[in-house]
Amino acid sequence: MSTTNGHIVEARNISRIFPMPAGPVTAVADVSLEILPGDHIAIRGPSGCGKSTLLHMLGCVEAPTAGTLLFRGDDVTQLSDRQRSLLRLRQIGFVFQRFFLLPMLTAAENIELPQSEANVPKAERRQRTHELLEYVGLAARAAHRPSELSGGEMQRVAIARAVANKPGLLLADEPTGELDRATGEQIASLLDRVNADGTALVIVTHDPALAERSTKILSMRDGRIESESTSA
Amino acid sequence: MNAMGFAWRSLVRQPARASLGVLGVAAVGALLFDMLLLSQGLVISMRDLLERTGFDLRVTATDALPGQGPLIPNAVERTQAISQLSSVRSAIALRFANAFVLAGGPRGVYTTFQGVAGTGAAHPWTILRGRDVTAGRPEIVINENTATRTRLAAGSRVMLRASCAGQKQALPPVPFIVSGIAQFPFDSPSGTTIATSLQMLATACGGNETNEADVIMVASQERAGPAVAVSDVAALLPDLHVLSNAEAVNRFERGGFTYFRQISTVLTAVTLSFAVLLITVLLTVSINQRLGEIAALRALGFSRWRVVADVFCESVLIVGGGGLLSLPVGALLAIGLDHILKRIPGIPADVHFFVFQPSALQVHLALLSATAIVAALYPIRIVARLPIAATLRDEVVG
Repeated sequence: MSTTNGHIVEARNISRIFPMPAGPVTAVADVSLEILPGDHIAIRGPSGCGKSTLLHMLGCVEAPTAGTLLFRGDDVTQLSDRQRSLLRLRQIGFVFQRFFLLPMLTAAENIELPQSEANVPKAERRQRTHELLEYVGLAARAAHRPSELSGGEMQRVAIARAVANKPGLLLADEPTGELDRATGEQIASLLDRVNADGTALVIVTHDPALAERSTKILSMRDGRIESESTSA
Repeated sequence: MNAMGFAWRSLVRQPARASLGVLGVAAVGALLFDMLLLSQGLVISMRDLLERTGFDLRVTATDALPGQGPLIPNAVERTQAISQLSSVRSAIALRFANAFVLAGGPRGVYTTFQGVAGTGAAHPWTILRGRDVTAGRPEIVINENTATRTRLAAGSRVMLRASCAGQKQALPPVPFIVSGIAQFPFDSPSGTTIATSLQMLATACGGNETNEADVIMVASQERAGPAVAVSDVAALLPDLHVLSNAEAVNRFERGGFTYFRQISTVLTAVTLSFAVLLITVLLTVSINQRLGEIAALRALGFSRWRVVADVFCESVLIVGGGGLLSLPVGALLAIGLDHILKRIPGIPADVHFFVFQPSALQVHLALLSATAIVAALYPIRIVARLPIAATLRDEVVG
């Protein structure tokens, strides 16, 4: 029987080692971390320090090679691929640097897709999609394909898609990495709003301004958390 | 959006790729369809032709084809004896020769010359105009090609110079009256054929061999069937060779016709291999262009099974669309190819190389279904084994 203690994620001394021809490479080493509902965490660090790998492990995309990773009390390493897929579908949202919207679908259809996969009834997902488009300020662009949207608009659709199934945890990997400063600011504000509405948020970023918006900042180096700072 | 809808949108997104795939499968599918029609077409067509003559047994002196082996001696009496068997409805003796019909030009027209004698009213030809020959009278029926080239009609008088097996001297012309115009089932499109009674053919051949035939054709009683009739005739005339239509077709199949099946089998294998390669390449290229999207979908919670189903449905849509298109294309191609092949000299006009059978459609469907599955295997393997995190990292770095 699993116990959550209110944690969404509880990582205890997790590591991720990649076997390479020239020898094993440690991407993440001995990291412990807790994510609680409503948390707003930023992970910073130089390229190759293991930020994205840690994010992927927190998102149950990649399993740790050592340590314990619990998601709402369940040991992620013990879950089957299908169970992890279901967990991601219903409880975790992802926002990517390159958006990865499906180009053959409209903005509304992209947002509707994860709901459809989660078997949300058609009328309900239409209503939810409409609300999300309003939420991200793109109601007028519902029928537009990604190629007809700006970078900022695409990222807003991607955020709406990520929260479509009302996940408790939203993970964002360099969400402003492909955007100009002004647009990045808009996306950061939108992510703040998602967090303020109750979704725990973990952002991997190089952008100090974006990191400063978080209540907890983890600085990584060589696969380890070098420092942790919190703000009010 | 289910996997099929998703696959449809993926194809519509890349219309050039989708069209290329569908057209490629249509071309390959059309060839495949034609190969299936060809593999059995000639045999089926020949069986129909044999059955249309109204006779289902052939009796010859040896197992050589009629006209290519020795003659049957005492053919008239033997035909009479066969026709009296309880399993036999009627029997006719048939002899083949050649003749110049001395009309329509200075040298006349060279024809196949048939002589018939027997107990039944039916002859292995169909009267189109005029009437049939009367036994004992110097009458002939001629086919349309002969009528056209000699400008003869029913009631015309004409001289024939026969050319008969074993006859080394030039024979004198013999007068005949054209009683009617007839259609002969084994005529080639340009073939010229005439026929008379066995007695009159013997007269034209110099009066010798009046009682010999190349083949005795037998119609079995319906209630007895050809197998019983074959057995009865073989027991009655053990020195002769008896063959039912089905056995004749089997001999054709084992003989020259087997080449068509072998050729069609080889070409079927080649065309299917091309189809598999084409679809595999198209799907693989498409998937490699979308690895980031697929990894993102997996990260968002789409199951491995779901992304595999998307790829499989794409393969099914390409093969299904191409397969449907391949049927009318294949049918048109078969008509054209049949037209070309029927120009081979000596091929009966009513024989077809490409014959449609419902089973061909079933095999076509089964082979294309297998193609869709096999072609999707490699692309499916790519998406099923896609490392999500590594792909997302690579896409960003790339």
